[in-house]
Amino acid sequence: MSDLAWTKLREWLLEHKAIDTSIDSPNMIKRLDLSGRSLQKLHESFSLLTELVALNLSNNLLSMLPDSMKKLTTLSNLNIRRNHFTLLPEVLTSLHLRALNISGNQIEDVSILTQCKDLRVLDLSVNVITSMDGCINKENELRVLNLSYNYLNDVNELFSKLHSIERLDLSGNLLTSIPHTAKAMETLAELKISDNQIESIDAALFSLPLEIIDLSSNEITALDLKGLEDLETITLDFNPLDKLNTSDDFAPYLESFSCDGCGLKSFLPLVSTELKTLCYASNDISSIPEDIGIYEQLNELDIDNNTIVDLPDSMANLTQLKTLYIDGNPLSESAKKVINILQPEICDIHMKRGITIERAKEEDLTQMAELLSVLFAIEQDFTIDYDKQLSGITKLYHSKGKELLVAKYEGEVVGMVTMQRLISSAEGDYIGQIEDLVVKEEYRKMGVGSRLLNKMRAIAQAYGYKRIQLAADVDNENALQFYTRRGFHKTHLKIYHYNT
Amino acid sequence: MKTKDEVLKMEICECGEKNVAQAIDIFQNTSLPFKKAKKLVTECNKTCCRAALMKLFDMQQFGKYDYDEIALLVEKRLERMRRLAEGA
Repeated sequence: MSDLAWTKLREWLLEHKAIDTSIDSPNMIKRLDLSGRSLQKLHESFSLLTELVALNLSNNLLSMLPDSMKKLTTLSNLNIRRNHFTLLPEVLTSLHLRALNISGNQIEDVSILTQCKDLRVLDLSVNVITSMDGCINKENELRVLNLSYNYLNDVNELFSKLHSIERLDLSGNLLTSIPHTAKAMETLAELKISDNQIESIDAALFSLPLEIIDLSSNEITALDLKGLEDLETITLDFNPLDKLNTSDDFAPYLESFSCDGCGLKSFLPLVSTELKTLCYASNDISSIPEDIGIYEQLNELDIDNNTIVDLPDSMANLTQLKTLYIDGNPLSESAKKVINILQPEICDIHMKRGITIERAKEEDLTQMAELLSVLFAIEQDFTIDYDKQLSGITKLYHSKGKELLVAKYEGEVVGMVTMQRLISSAEGDYIGQIEDLVVKEEYRKMGVGSRLLNKMRAIAQAYGYKRIQLAADVDNENALQFYTRRGFHKTHLKIYHYNT
Repeated sequence: MKTKDEVLKMEICECGEKNVAQAIDIFQNTSLPFKKAKKLVTECNKTCCRAALMKLFDMQQFGKYDYDEIALLVEKRLERMRRLAEGA
Protein backbone atom coordinates (compact mmCIF):
# COMPACT_ATOMS: atom_id res chain seq x y z
CA MET A 1 0.00 0.00 0.00
CA SER A 2 1.30 3.39 -0.94
CA ASP A 3 1.44 5.84 1.97
CA LEU A 4 0.91 8.68 -0.44
CA ALA A 5 -2.24 7.07 -1.84
CA TRP A 6 -3.63 6.58 1.68
CA THR A 7 -2.72 10.15 2.64
CA LYS A 8 -4.64 11.49 -0.35
CA LEU A 9 -7.63 9.19 0.27
CA ARG A 10 -7.65 10.17 3.94
CA GLU A 11 -7.69 13.86 3.00
CA TRP A 12 -10.56 13.21 0.60
CA LEU A 13 -12.56 11.36 3.27
CA LEU A 14 -11.88 14.09 5.83
CA GLU A 15 -12.91 16.72 3.33
CA HIS A 16 -16.22 14.92 2.89
CA LYS A 17 -16.58 14.51 6.65
CA ALA A 18 -16.84 10.75 6.27
CA ILE A 19 -14.16 10.01 8.90
CA ASP A 20 -12.64 11.90 11.80
CA THR A 21 -8.99 12.67 12.41
CA SER A 22 -8.51 9.69 14.72
CA ILE A 23 -8.55 7.38 11.67
CA ASP A 24 -4.96 6.84 10.61
CA SER A 25 -5.16 3.58 8.71
CA PRO A 26 -7.51 2.35 5.97
CA ASN A 27 -7.97 -0.88 7.92
CA MET A 28 -9.75 1.04 10.67
CA ILE A 29 -12.62 1.88 8.35
CA LYS A 30 -15.38 -0.73 8.45
CA ARG A 31 -18.37 1.48 7.71
CA LEU A 32 -18.51 4.60 5.61
CA ASP A 33 -21.33 7.05 5.03
CA LEU A 34 -20.74 9.19 1.96
CA SER A 35 -24.41 9.90 1.25
CA GLY A 36 -25.54 13.28 -0.03
CA ARG A 37 -22.07 14.59 -0.95
CA SER A 38 -22.84 15.36 -4.62
CA LEU A 39 -20.14 12.86 -5.62
CA GLN A 40 -19.72 12.20 -9.33
CA LYS A 41 -16.99 9.64 -8.81
CA LEU A 42 -15.13 7.92 -6.00
CA HIS A 43 -11.55 8.68 -5.08
CA GLU A 44 -9.04 6.77 -7.24
CA SER A 45 -7.57 5.05 -4.19
CA PHE A 46 -10.93 4.03 -2.74
CA SER A 47 -10.02 0.35 -3.10
CA LEU A 48 -7.51 0.75 -0.25
CA LEU A 49 -10.46 0.36 2.13
CA THR A 50 -10.20 -3.40 2.08
CA GLU A 51 -11.81 -3.84 5.50
CA LEU A 52 -14.96 -2.00 4.51
CA VAL A 53 -18.16 -3.85 5.42
CA ALA A 54 -20.87 -1.25 4.80
CA LEU A 55 -20.79 1.59 2.29
CA ASN A 56 -23.50 4.20 1.88
CA LEU A 57 -23.19 6.17 -1.38
CA SER A 58 -26.86 7.18 -1.63
CA ASN A 59 -28.04 10.58 -2.84
CA ASN A 60 -25.05 11.38 -5.01
CA LEU A 61 -24.47 11.90 -8.73
CA LEU A 62 -22.70 8.64 -9.43
CA SER A 63 -23.22 6.79 -12.70
CA MET A 64 -20.45 4.22 -12.33
CA LEU A 65 -18.34 2.44 -9.75
CA PRO A 66 -14.64 1.70 -10.36
CA ASP A 67 -13.65 -1.89 -11.12
CA SER A 68 -10.97 -1.58 -8.46
CA MET A 69 -13.75 -1.89 -5.90
CA LYS A 70 -13.55 -5.63 -6.42
CA LYS A 71 -10.70 -5.52 -3.89
CA LEU A 72 -13.30 -4.72 -1.22
CA THR A 73 -13.78 -8.36 -0.49
CA THR A 74 -15.41 -7.85 2.90
CA LEU A 75 -18.01 -5.38 1.65
CA SER A 76 -21.42 -6.89 2.32
CA ASN A 77 -23.74 -3.90 2.43
CA LEU A 78 -23.83 -1.36 -0.42
CA ASN A 79 -26.28 1.50 -0.83
CA ILE A 80 -26.25 3.40 -4.15
CA ARG A 81 -29.83 4.63 -3.86
CA ARG A 82 -30.81 7.84 -5.70
CA ASN A 83 -27.85 8.24 -8.01
CA HIS A 84 -27.60 8.46 -11.79
CA PHE A 85 -26.99 4.84 -12.70
CA THR A 86 -28.51 3.65 -15.95
CA LEU A 87 -26.58 0.38 -15.90
CA LEU A 88 -25.71 -1.84 -12.97
CA PRO A 89 -21.96 -1.56 -12.28
CA GLU A 90 -20.16 -4.70 -13.42
CA VAL A 91 -18.08 -4.71 -10.23
CA LEU A 92 -21.13 -5.83 -8.26
CA THR A 93 -20.63 -9.32 -9.63
CA SER A 94 -17.18 -9.51 -8.00
CA LEU A 95 -18.38 -8.52 -4.55
CA HIS A 96 -19.98 -10.72 -1.93
CA LEU A 97 -22.88 -8.44 -1.09
CA ARG A 98 -25.57 -9.46 1.35
CA ALA A 99 -27.57 -6.23 1.07
CA LEU A 100 -27.81 -3.98 -1.98
CA ASN A 101 -29.94 -0.87 -2.44
CA ILE A 102 -30.20 0.49 -5.99
CA SER A 103 -33.53 2.28 -5.57
CA GLY A 104 -34.22 5.54 -7.40
CA ASN A 105 -31.92 5.17 -10.39
CA GLN A 106 -32.72 4.70 -14.09
CA ILE A 107 -31.83 1.06 -14.42
CA GLU A 108 -33.73 -1.16 -16.84
CA ASP A 109 -31.55 -4.25 -17.11
CA VAL A 110 -30.59 -6.04 -13.89
CA SER A 111 -29.61 -9.36 -15.44
CA ILE A 112 -26.09 -9.28 -13.99
CA LEU A 113 -27.67 -9.80 -10.56
CA THR A 114 -27.92 -13.46 -11.46
CA GLN A 115 -24.23 -13.60 -10.48
CA CYS A 116 -24.88 -12.09 -7.03
CA LYS A 117 -25.81 -15.27 -5.24
CA ASP A 118 -25.12 -14.02 -1.71
CA LEU A 119 -27.75 -11.30 -1.68
CA ARG A 120 -30.25 -11.46 1.17
CA VAL A 121 -31.77 -8.00 0.89
CA LEU A 122 -32.24 -6.31 -2.48
CA ASP A 123 -33.97 -3.00 -3.16
CA LEU A 124 -34.57 -2.27 -6.84
CA SER A 125 -37.55 0.04 -6.35
CA VAL A 126 -38.20 3.17 -8.42
CA ASN A 127 -36.21 2.17 -11.48
CA VAL A 128 -37.39 1.34 -15.00
CA ILE A 129 -37.15 -2.44 -14.88
CA THR A 130 -39.48 -4.14 -17.34
CA SER A 131 -38.59 -7.77 -16.69
CA MET A 132 -36.93 -9.87 -14.02
CA ASP A 133 -36.73 -12.97 -16.20
CA GLY A 134 -33.22 -14.41 -16.01
CA CYS A 135 -32.16 -11.88 -13.38
CA ILE A 136 -32.30 -13.99 -10.24
CA ASN A 137 -30.09 -17.03 -9.80
CA LYS A 138 -31.87 -20.28 -9.04
CA GLU A 139 -29.60 -20.69 -6.02
CA ASN A 140 -30.32 -17.28 -4.56
CA GLU A 141 -30.63 -16.53 -0.84
CA LEU A 142 -33.00 -13.58 -1.16
CA ARG A 143 -35.09 -12.87 1.91
CA VAL A 144 -36.25 -9.33 1.17
CA LEU A 145 -36.92 -8.00 -2.33
CA ASN A 146 -38.33 -4.60 -3.19
CA LEU A 147 -39.32 -4.13 -6.83
CA SER A 148 -41.96 -1.47 -6.29
CA TYR A 149 -42.55 1.26 -8.86
CA ASN A 150 -41.04 -0.39 -11.89
CA TYR A 151 -42.67 -1.60 -15.10
CA LEU A 152 -43.01 -5.32 -14.53
CA ASN A 153 -45.95 -7.03 -16.18
CA ASP A 154 -45.02 -10.64 -15.59
CA VAL A 155 -43.61 -12.24 -12.46
CA ASN A 156 -44.22 -15.86 -13.38
CA GLU A 157 -40.54 -16.83 -13.54
CA LEU A 158 -39.52 -14.51 -10.74
CA PHE A 159 -41.92 -16.13 -8.28
CA SER A 160 -40.65 -19.61 -9.16
CA LYS A 161 -37.15 -18.64 -8.00
CA LEU A 162 -37.96 -16.89 -4.73
CA HIS A 163 -37.88 -20.01 -2.58
CA SER A 164 -36.40 -18.24 0.47
CA ILE A 165 -38.22 -14.94 0.21
CA GLU A 166 -39.87 -13.51 3.31
CA ARG A 167 -40.84 -10.00 2.25
CA LEU A 168 -41.72 -8.99 -1.29
CA ASP A 169 -42.85 -5.57 -2.53
CA LEU A 170 -44.24 -5.35 -6.06
CA SER A 171 -46.40 -2.25 -5.60
CA GLY A 172 -46.77 0.12 -8.51
CA ASN A 173 -46.00 -2.20 -11.41
CA LEU A 174 -48.15 -3.33 -14.33
CA LEU A 175 -49.08 -6.79 -13.14
CA THR A 176 -52.42 -8.25 -14.16
CA SER A 177 -52.33 -11.50 -12.20
CA ILE A 178 -50.77 -13.38 -9.34
CA PRO A 179 -49.62 -16.56 -11.07
CA HIS A 180 -49.59 -20.16 -9.91
CA THR A 181 -45.81 -20.03 -9.40
CA ALA A 182 -46.53 -18.08 -6.20
CA LYS A 183 -46.66 -21.50 -4.55
CA ALA A 184 -42.85 -21.61 -4.71
CA MET A 185 -42.57 -18.79 -2.18
CA GLU A 186 -43.03 -21.11 0.74
CA THR A 187 -41.61 -18.72 3.34
CA LEU A 188 -43.31 -15.52 2.19
CA ALA A 189 -44.67 -13.59 5.18
CA GLU A 190 -45.31 -10.18 3.61
CA LEU A 191 -46.57 -9.35 0.13
CA LYS A 192 -47.23 -5.82 -1.05
CA ILE A 193 -48.70 -5.76 -4.53
CA SER A 194 -50.91 -2.66 -4.49
CA ASP A 195 -51.20 -0.22 -7.41
CA ASN A 196 -51.08 -2.80 -10.17
CA GLN A 197 -53.80 -3.97 -12.56
CA ILE A 198 -54.41 -7.35 -11.00
CA GLU A 199 -57.62 -9.04 -12.05
CA SER A 200 -56.93 -12.66 -11.19
CA ILE A 201 -55.27 -14.35 -8.24
CA ASP A 202 -54.23 -17.98 -8.37
CA ALA A 203 -55.42 -20.16 -5.51
CA ALA A 204 -51.77 -20.93 -4.69
CA LEU A 205 -51.57 -17.56 -2.93
CA PHE A 206 -53.91 -18.79 -0.20
CA SER A 207 -51.59 -21.64 0.74
CA LEU A 208 -48.70 -19.33 1.65
CA PRO A 209 -47.69 -18.48 5.24
CA LEU A 210 -48.53 -14.82 4.67
CA GLU A 211 -48.87 -12.53 7.66
CA ILE A 212 -49.37 -9.30 5.73
CA ILE A 213 -50.85 -8.79 2.28
CA ASP A 214 -51.69 -5.53 0.52
CA LEU A 215 -53.79 -5.94 -2.62
CA SER A 216 -55.18 -2.42 -2.70
CA SER A 217 -55.74 -0.38 -5.87
CA ASN A 218 -56.00 -3.21 -8.35
CA GLU A 219 -58.76 -4.38 -10.68
CA ILE A 220 -60.02 -7.27 -8.58
CA THR A 221 -63.75 -7.81 -9.06
CA ALA A 222 -64.17 -11.21 -7.44
CA LEU A 223 -62.30 -12.73 -4.53
CA ASP A 224 -62.81 -15.81 -2.39
CA LEU A 225 -60.79 -15.41 0.78
CA LYS A 226 -59.74 -18.71 2.30
CA GLY A 227 -56.91 -20.34 4.23
CA LEU A 228 -54.05 -18.00 5.14
CA GLU A 229 -53.86 -19.32 8.66
CA ASP A 230 -51.03 -16.95 9.66
CA LEU A 231 -52.55 -13.81 8.19
CA GLU A 232 -52.65 -10.78 10.47
CA THR A 233 -53.25 -7.89 8.05
CA ILE A 234 -55.07 -7.70 4.73
CA THR A 235 -55.71 -4.55 2.72
CA LEU A 236 -58.10 -4.65 -0.23
CA ASP A 237 -58.82 -0.93 -0.59
CA PHE A 238 -59.99 0.54 -3.89
CA ASN A 239 -60.78 -2.62 -5.81
CA PRO A 240 -64.06 -2.76 -7.75
CA LEU A 241 -65.25 -5.81 -5.81
CA ASP A 242 -68.53 -7.19 -7.09
CA LYS A 243 -68.10 -10.46 -5.27
CA LEU A 244 -66.18 -10.94 -2.04
CA ASN A 245 -66.59 -14.11 -0.01
CA THR A 246 -64.82 -15.63 2.95
CA SER A 247 -64.52 -19.25 3.99
CA ASP A 248 -64.77 -20.34 7.61
CA ASP A 249 -61.08 -21.22 7.58
CA PHE A 250 -59.96 -17.76 6.45
CA ALA A 251 -57.39 -16.03 8.65
CA PRO A 252 -58.46 -17.19 12.12
CA TYR A 253 -56.02 -14.77 13.77
CA LEU A 254 -56.61 -11.75 11.56
CA GLU A 255 -55.90 -8.44 13.33
CA SER A 256 -56.45 -5.88 10.60
CA PHE A 257 -58.93 -5.89 7.71
CA SER A 258 -59.35 -2.96 5.33
CA CYS A 259 -61.76 -2.68 2.44
CA ASP A 260 -61.96 1.06 1.75
CA GLY A 261 -63.85 2.21 -1.32
CA CYS A 262 -64.71 -1.20 -2.76
CA GLY A 263 -68.43 -0.73 -3.35
CA LEU A 264 -69.38 -3.25 -0.65
CA LYS A 265 -72.96 -3.42 0.56
CA SER A 266 -72.33 -5.34 3.78
CA PHE A 267 -69.72 -6.45 6.30
CA LEU A 268 -67.86 -9.69 5.70
CA PRO A 269 -68.27 -12.54 8.18
CA LEU A 270 -64.69 -12.59 9.50
CA VAL A 271 -64.19 -15.34 12.05
CA SER A 272 -61.16 -13.92 13.80
CA THR A 273 -61.88 -12.58 17.27
CA GLU A 274 -58.40 -11.01 17.31
CA LEU A 275 -59.44 -8.11 15.07
CA LYS A 276 -58.00 -4.81 16.21
CA THR A 277 -58.54 -2.67 13.12
CA LEU A 278 -61.52 -2.82 10.82
CA CYS A 279 -62.06 -0.47 7.86
CA TYR A 280 -65.10 -0.37 5.58
CA ALA A 281 -64.91 3.35 4.76
CA SER A 282 -66.49 4.74 1.58
CA ASN A 283 -68.67 1.76 0.68
CA ASP A 284 -72.44 1.38 0.31
CA ILE A 285 -73.00 -0.26 3.68
CA SER A 286 -76.32 0.60 5.33
CA SER A 287 -76.16 -1.49 8.49
CA ILE A 288 -73.68 -2.97 10.90
CA PRO A 289 -74.22 -6.62 11.80
CA GLU A 290 -75.18 -7.46 15.38
CA ASP A 291 -72.22 -9.84 15.65
CA ILE A 292 -69.72 -6.98 15.49
CA GLY A 293 -69.78 -7.39 19.25
CA ILE A 294 -67.61 -10.51 18.94
CA TYR A 295 -64.63 -8.30 18.06
CA GLU A 296 -63.91 -7.43 21.66
CA GLN A 297 -60.29 -6.53 20.86
CA LEU A 298 -61.32 -3.96 18.27
CA ASN A 299 -59.26 -0.82 18.68
CA GLU A 300 -60.11 1.13 15.53
CA LEU A 301 -63.30 1.08 13.46
CA ASP A 302 -63.48 3.08 10.24
CA ILE A 303 -66.92 3.14 8.65
CA ASP A 304 -67.12 6.73 7.46
CA ASN A 305 -68.92 7.69 4.25
CA ASN A 306 -71.44 4.86 4.09
CA THR A 307 -75.22 4.95 4.48
CA ILE A 308 -75.42 3.74 8.07
CA VAL A 309 -78.38 4.99 10.10
CA ASP A 310 -78.42 2.83 13.23
CA LEU A 311 -75.77 1.11 15.31
CA PRO A 312 -76.40 -2.25 16.99
CA ASP A 313 -76.51 -2.43 20.80
CA SER A 314 -73.77 -5.09 20.64
CA MET A 315 -71.29 -2.31 19.88
CA ALA A 316 -71.33 -1.67 23.60
CA ASN A 317 -69.13 -4.79 23.82
CA LEU A 318 -66.35 -2.95 21.99
CA THR A 319 -64.77 -1.75 25.18
CA GLN A 320 -61.29 -1.52 23.62
CA LEU A 321 -62.45 0.82 20.85
CA LYS A 322 -60.21 3.89 20.91
CA THR A 323 -60.76 5.30 17.42
CA LEU A 324 -64.01 5.59 15.48
CA TYR A 325 -64.37 7.18 12.04
CA ILE A 326 -68.07 7.36 11.30
CA ASP A 327 -68.62 10.78 9.75
CA GLY A 328 -70.48 10.97 6.45
CA ASN A 329 -73.30 8.62 7.54
CA PRO A 330 -76.95 9.64 8.07
CA LEU A 331 -76.80 8.59 11.73
CA SER A 332 -79.96 8.49 13.84
CA GLU A 333 -80.14 10.06 17.28
CA SER A 334 -80.01 6.61 18.88
CA ALA A 335 -76.83 5.83 16.94
CA LYS A 336 -75.26 9.00 18.30
CA LYS A 337 -76.22 7.87 21.81
CA VAL A 338 -74.40 4.56 21.23
CA ILE A 339 -71.31 6.55 20.24
CA ASN A 340 -71.61 8.65 23.38
CA ILE A 341 -71.77 5.49 25.48
CA LEU A 342 -68.77 4.01 23.67
CA GLN A 343 -66.76 7.22 24.20
CA PRO A 344 -63.86 6.43 21.87
CA GLU A 345 -60.82 8.62 22.50
CA ILE A 346 -60.76 9.72 18.87
CA CYS A 347 -64.01 10.14 16.97
CA ASP A 348 -64.24 12.18 13.78
CA ILE A 349 -67.74 13.52 14.49
CA HIS A 350 -66.45 15.00 17.73
CA MET A 351 -63.43 16.56 16.11
CA LYS A 352 -63.54 20.28 15.71
CA ARG A 353 -63.01 21.30 12.11
CA GLY A 354 -61.19 24.46 11.27
CA ILE A 355 -58.54 24.44 13.99
CA THR A 356 -55.65 26.37 12.49
CA ILE A 357 -51.98 26.42 13.45
CA GLU A 358 -50.42 29.83 13.05
CA ARG A 359 -47.73 32.11 14.39
CA ALA A 360 -48.87 33.91 17.54
CA LYS A 361 -49.85 37.57 17.33
CA GLU A 362 -49.50 40.12 20.10
CA GLU A 363 -53.23 39.99 20.84
CA ASP A 364 -52.93 36.23 21.55
CA LEU A 365 -50.54 36.70 24.46
CA THR A 366 -53.15 37.04 27.22
CA GLN A 367 -54.88 33.85 26.15
CA MET A 368 -51.50 32.11 25.92
CA ALA A 369 -50.68 33.15 29.49
CA GLU A 370 -53.98 31.67 30.64
CA LEU A 371 -53.21 28.49 28.76
CA LEU A 372 -49.85 28.17 30.49
CA SER A 373 -51.69 27.81 33.77
CA VAL A 374 -53.13 24.55 32.41
CA LEU A 375 -49.60 23.33 31.80
CA PHE A 376 -48.18 24.50 35.12
CA ALA A 377 -51.02 22.81 36.94
CA ILE A 378 -49.55 19.51 35.68
CA GLU A 379 -45.85 20.31 36.14
CA GLN A 380 -44.80 20.05 39.76
CA ASP A 381 -41.80 22.38 39.44
CA PHE A 382 -43.86 25.42 38.55
CA THR A 383 -46.62 27.45 40.19
CA ILE A 384 -49.45 29.24 38.49
CA ASP A 385 -49.06 33.00 38.46
CA TYR A 386 -50.88 34.69 35.60
CA ASP A 387 -48.91 37.94 35.81
CA LYS A 388 -45.57 36.11 35.65
CA GLN A 389 -46.76 33.94 32.79
CA LEU A 390 -48.01 36.97 30.86
CA SER A 391 -44.75 38.80 31.50
CA GLY A 392 -42.72 35.78 30.39
CA ILE A 393 -44.66 35.07 27.24
CA THR A 394 -44.63 38.77 26.32
CA LYS A 395 -40.84 38.98 26.77
CA LEU A 396 -40.46 35.86 24.69
CA TYR A 397 -42.69 37.27 21.97
CA HIS A 398 -40.50 40.36 21.67
CA SER A 399 -37.19 38.49 21.87
CA LYS A 400 -34.97 37.41 18.98
CA GLY A 401 -34.60 33.79 17.87
CA LYS A 402 -38.02 32.76 19.13
CA GLU A 403 -41.04 31.11 17.59
CA LEU A 404 -44.51 31.06 19.13
CA LEU A 405 -47.24 28.98 17.52
CA VAL A 406 -50.88 28.87 18.50
CA ALA A 407 -53.74 26.55 17.60
CA LYS A 408 -56.88 28.55 17.10
CA TYR A 409 -60.52 27.59 16.89
CA GLU A 410 -63.03 30.29 16.00
CA GLY A 411 -60.56 32.95 17.10
CA GLU A 412 -59.83 31.34 20.47
CA VAL A 413 -56.35 30.08 21.37
CA VAL A 414 -56.81 26.38 22.20
CA GLY A 415 -53.20 25.25 22.09
CA MET A 416 -49.67 26.62 21.94
CA VAL A 417 -45.99 25.80 21.73
CA THR A 418 -42.85 27.92 21.85
CA MET A 419 -39.28 27.47 20.66
CA GLN A 420 -36.18 29.46 21.59
CA ARG A 421 -32.88 29.42 19.74
CA LEU A 422 -29.91 28.18 21.75
CA ILE A 423 -26.30 27.58 20.82
CA SER A 424 -25.04 24.07 21.48
CA SER A 425 -21.30 23.65 21.95
CA ALA A 426 -21.83 19.92 21.45
CA GLU A 427 -23.49 20.45 18.06
CA GLY A 428 -21.35 23.46 17.24
CA ASP A 429 -24.41 25.26 15.99
CA TYR A 430 -27.91 26.50 16.78
CA ILE A 431 -30.50 24.20 18.30
CA GLY A 432 -34.14 24.78 19.27
CA GLN A 433 -35.51 24.57 22.80
CA ILE A 434 -39.18 23.59 22.69
CA GLU A 435 -41.32 24.68 25.63
CA ASP A 436 -44.88 25.36 26.66
CA LEU A 437 -46.62 22.75 24.52
CA VAL A 438 -50.15 22.60 25.84
CA VAL A 439 -53.64 22.00 24.45
CA LYS A 440 -56.89 22.83 26.21
CA GLU A 441 -58.54 19.77 27.72
CA GLU A 442 -61.62 19.86 25.47
CA TYR A 443 -59.46 20.02 22.32
CA ARG A 444 -57.24 17.05 23.14
CA LYS A 445 -57.29 13.75 21.22
CA MET A 446 -57.74 15.72 18.02
CA GLY A 447 -54.11 15.76 16.96
CA VAL A 448 -53.65 19.45 17.82
CA GLY A 449 -50.48 18.80 19.83
CA SER A 450 -49.01 16.77 16.98
CA ARG A 451 -49.74 19.51 14.50
CA LEU A 452 -48.14 22.15 16.72
CA LEU A 453 -45.06 20.00 17.18
CA ASN A 454 -44.82 19.02 13.50
CA LYS A 455 -45.03 22.64 12.41
CA MET A 456 -42.39 23.66 14.93
CA ARG A 457 -40.08 20.89 13.75
CA ALA A 458 -40.51 22.07 10.16
CA ILE A 459 -39.59 25.60 11.27
CA ALA A 460 -36.52 24.24 13.07
CA GLN A 461 -35.47 22.44 9.88
CA ALA A 462 -35.96 25.61 7.83
CA TYR A 463 -33.69 27.46 10.26
CA GLY A 464 -31.13 24.67 9.98
CA TYR A 465 -31.19 23.85 13.69
CA LYS A 466 -29.10 20.79 14.41
CA ARG A 467 -31.39 19.51 17.12
CA ILE A 468 -34.54 20.35 18.99
CA GLN A 469 -34.94 19.46 22.63
CA LEU A 470 -37.48 19.75 25.38
CA ALA A 471 -38.09 18.82 28.99
CA ALA A 472 -41.15 17.06 30.36
CA ASP A 473 -42.33 16.32 33.89
CA VAL A 474 -41.24 12.78 34.79
CA ASP A 475 -44.69 12.04 36.18
CA ASN A 476 -46.53 13.26 33.10
CA GLU A 477 -46.89 9.86 31.44
CA ASN A 478 -49.07 11.21 28.63
CA ALA A 479 -46.44 13.77 27.67
CA LEU A 480 -43.60 11.25 27.86
CA GLN A 481 -45.44 8.83 25.59
CA PHE A 482 -46.44 11.65 23.24
CA TYR A 483 -42.84 12.75 22.70
CA THR A 484 -41.48 9.21 22.44
CA ARG A 485 -44.05 8.31 19.77
CA ARG A 486 -42.93 11.34 17.81
CA GLY A 487 -39.29 10.34 17.66
CA PHE A 488 -37.86 12.16 20.68
CA HIS A 489 -35.52 10.03 22.75
CA LYS A 490 -34.85 10.32 26.45
CA THR A 491 -31.39 11.59 27.37
CA HIS A 492 -29.25 10.86 30.41
CA LEU A 493 -29.37 14.48 31.48
CA LYS A 494 -31.36 15.77 34.43
CA ILE A 495 -32.44 19.36 34.74
CA TYR A 496 -31.39 21.33 37.86
CA HIS A 497 -32.79 24.72 38.89
CA TYR A 498 -31.01 27.30 41.03
CA ASN A 499 -33.07 30.34 41.95
CA THR A 500 -30.96 33.51 41.95
CA MET B 1 -31.24 19.41 -9.08
CA LYS B 2 -34.27 21.57 -8.30
CA THR B 3 -34.37 24.28 -5.67
CA LYS B 4 -36.74 24.00 -2.73
CA ASP B 5 -39.06 26.62 -4.25
CA GLU B 6 -39.14 24.77 -7.56
CA VAL B 7 -40.07 21.54 -5.78
CA LEU B 8 -42.80 23.28 -3.77
CA LYS B 9 -44.37 24.43 -7.04
CA MET B 10 -44.34 20.96 -8.64
CA GLU B 11 -47.76 19.39 -9.14
CA ILE B 12 -47.92 16.38 -6.87
CA CYS B 13 -51.53 15.39 -7.58
CA GLU B 14 -53.32 15.87 -10.87
CA CYS B 15 -56.76 14.83 -9.63
CA GLY B 16 -56.81 17.33 -6.80
CA GLU B 17 -54.71 19.83 -8.77
CA LYS B 18 -52.39 20.37 -5.81
CA ASN B 19 -48.75 21.28 -5.79
CA VAL B 20 -46.27 20.16 -3.16
CA ALA B 21 -46.70 23.32 -1.08
CA GLN B 22 -50.48 22.93 -1.00
CA ALA B 23 -50.20 19.27 -0.04
CA ILE B 24 -47.86 20.16 2.83
CA ASP B 25 -50.32 22.82 3.96
CA ILE B 26 -53.20 20.34 3.94
CA PHE B 27 -51.18 17.75 5.84
CA GLN B 28 -50.13 20.33 8.40
CA ASN B 29 -53.70 21.38 8.94
CA THR B 30 -55.25 18.01 9.58
CA SER B 31 -55.02 15.55 12.41
CA LEU B 32 -56.23 12.67 10.28
CA PRO B 33 -54.07 9.62 9.48
CA PHE B 34 -52.50 9.32 6.03
CA LYS B 35 -55.29 7.35 4.40
CA LYS B 36 -57.78 10.10 5.17
CA ALA B 37 -55.41 13.03 4.82
CA LYS B 38 -54.51 11.79 1.33
CA LYS B 39 -58.14 12.06 0.27
CA LEU B 40 -58.13 15.70 1.33
CA VAL B 41 -55.35 16.31 -1.17
CA THR B 42 -56.49 14.09 -4.03
CA GLU B 43 -60.24 14.46 -3.57
CA CYS B 44 -60.48 11.01 -5.09
CA ASN B 45 -59.87 7.35 -4.31
CA LYS B 46 -57.14 6.89 -6.91
CA THR B 47 -53.60 6.12 -5.89
CA CYS B 48 -51.48 7.39 -8.78
CA CYS B 49 -49.74 9.92 -6.54
CA ARG B 50 -49.75 7.84 -3.37
CA ALA B 51 -46.00 7.12 -3.26
CA ALA B 52 -45.05 10.81 -3.28
CA LEU B 53 -47.86 11.83 -0.95
CA MET B 54 -47.08 9.10 1.55
CA LYS B 55 -43.45 10.16 1.64
CA LEU B 56 -44.47 13.79 2.05
CA PHE B 57 -46.88 12.89 4.85
CA ASP B 58 -44.16 10.96 6.68
CA MET B 59 -41.79 13.89 6.29
CA GLN B 60 -44.45 16.19 7.71
CA GLN B 61 -44.94 13.85 10.65
CA PHE B 62 -41.23 13.87 11.39
CA GLY B 63 -40.89 17.60 10.69
CA LYS B 64 -38.05 17.14 8.22
CA TYR B 65 -38.49 17.53 4.48
CA ASP B 66 -36.26 16.00 1.80
CA TYR B 67 -37.29 17.99 -1.27
CA ASP B 68 -34.99 16.04 -3.61
CA GLU B 69 -36.79 12.85 -2.65
CA ILE B 70 -40.17 14.42 -3.34
CA ALA B 71 -38.95 15.78 -6.69
CA LEU B 72 -37.70 12.32 -7.64
CA LEU B 73 -41.04 10.68 -6.83
CA VAL B 74 -43.07 13.33 -8.64
CA GLU B 75 -40.85 13.04 -11.70
CA LYS B 76 -41.09 9.25 -11.59
CA ARG B 77 -44.90 9.51 -11.55
CA LEU B 78 -44.84 11.81 -14.57
CA GLU B 79 -42.48 9.46 -16.37
CA ARG B 80 -44.73 6.55 -15.53
CA MET B 81 -47.77 8.35 -16.93
CA ARG B 82 -45.84 9.16 -20.09
CA ARG B 83 -44.68 5.58 -20.51
CA LEU B 84 -48.18 4.23 -19.90
CA ALA B 85 -49.56 6.66 -22.46
CA GLU B 86 -46.98 5.33 -24.90
CA GLY B 87 -48.15 1.79 -24.16
CA ALA B 88 -45.46 0.56 -21.77
